[in-house]
Amino acid sequence: MVASSGSASARRSAGRLNAPRPALVETEFDGTPRVVNRHLVALVREEWRVVDRWWTEEPVDRRYFEVVLESGQNVCVYRDGGRSCWFTQNA
Amino acid sequence: MIACLLIPGFELRAALRARPRLVLVPAALAPEAGEEPLLGPVTATAEAAGVKPGMRLGEALATCPSLVLVDRDPAAVEKEWEDVLRRLEDAGFAVDPVEQGAVVFETRGVERLYGGVHPALERALAAIGSTWDPRIGAAGRRFTALAAASVARPGQIVIVAEKDEQAFLEPLPLSLLPLAADRYAELEGLGLRRLGELAQLPRGAVAERLGVEGRKAWRLAHGGRRAKVRGRRPVSELAEALTFPEAIANELTLRRALGSLLERLLARPERAGRPFRKLALAARLVDGGSWRRAVTLRDATAELARLRAALGPKLSELPAPIVELRLETVELAEHTGQQLALVEPAGEEAAGRLREGLRQVRASTGTGSVCAVVEVAPWSRVPEARALVVPRDD
Repeated sequence: MVASSGSASARRSAGRLNAPRPALVETEFDGTPRVVNRHLVALVREEWRVVDRWWTEEPVDRRYFEVVLESGQNVCVYRDGGRSCWFTQNA
Repeated sequence: MIACLLIPGFELRAALRARPRLVLVPAALAPEAGEEPLLGPVTATAEAAGVKPGMRLGEALATCPSLVLVDRDPAAVEKEWEDVLRRLEDAGFAVDPVEQGAVVFETRGVERLYGGVHPALERALAAIGSTWDPRIGAAGRRFTALAAASVARPGQIVIVAEKDEQAFLEPLPLSLLPLAADRYAELEGLGLRRLGELAQLPRGAVAERLGVEGRKAWRLAHGGRRAKVRGRRPVSELAEALTFPEAIANELTLRRALGSLLERLLARPERAGRPFRKLALAARLVDGGSWRRAVTLRDATAELARLRAALGPKLSELPAPIVELRLETVELAEHTGQQLALVEPAGEEAAGRLREGLRQVRASTGTGSVCAVVEVAPWSRVPEARALVVPRDD
């Protein structure tokens, strides 16, 4: 794979694959996504929780949703419990 | 022996050939359009006034308000450099140009003709002429020859015997190494100033701290690899030019002119059916300056559509309206046909092609641009912790 040759520091260090990206999500009353990045959600296919690394200083508390948008696109989003914000990620 | 002929500030000297009176005043090569405003080479008068090559434009003008900026003239530089190389070739040297102003050649083939290494090198200096202030360094290895040339005075020949190479390199500055500016700063931060200081460090430690570049620099500080000099292949004389009655900048007209030049070049009988490997597009700008871009084709071709597609985008880089467009053949490929593969490449052949492809990507985008995905915790429930993208420079 070919990485971006942007900055000198980026060229030398190892990077994370599949890092989460911030997402714009509007939710229903029960916390399920209704709009993801300005696209209406047609269907919530799956929902699961990941609670991990609770013994470290960076605990992971995520509520994942795999949704189908009205455009037909499959998207995976999660709400970070610690930071109270939404991200998209290929889970 | 390997000899290196050096003409410092060649770009400025070539640009000043048309304006010789500027040689005696503080003058410097103007920064490239769209690039960082850093000066190119400067004249001796400018240097005496405190202006240095690579200085910021604002700082240079504050230091020397009478500084004259000389516009870059890549077409003239290319022509003059080709002239220098041909004069060396006429004297019997098989030259391998490093960059404009630096050329390497082997003396072994002509030593008996001229009666030794020194007379042969004197012949090379005489072939160039004193107007360019050339200097020559000679040694058993390429890097040492380049280092010797860089410390020689104009018209001087410095020959380094094989047994003295290491002692010769030791006191020389690290700036002779082909490293990025931030690397010099890093080495200076570590207290290293001379090649000898770098050479004394353990190879493994340098490679660990500075990576591939560091390993290469360490090897050069020890004199570099012993490699033969391969003379360049003779340059093709094929060129076509179109002069316009008035300055043009319209892209459609430029593309039509390029198409016409390509058709004329393809029809030249001297080509003998051989496809193009490397072409150069040059233009004379309306304000008197010039512009030149060379394009190396990945696969040698003589197809009009592919040549148009490769050269067309370069026209959008023209900085000003032009009065002349010129298309030059830099290199022709040898073969006249292309064998298609009956069976898809596999195994070692496919791996070899992949390696070559990655090498080309690295060459065009720089070290660290090719990465490998390394699984570190494929079992992790956190997706981003499963794999890392690691730069691969092997």
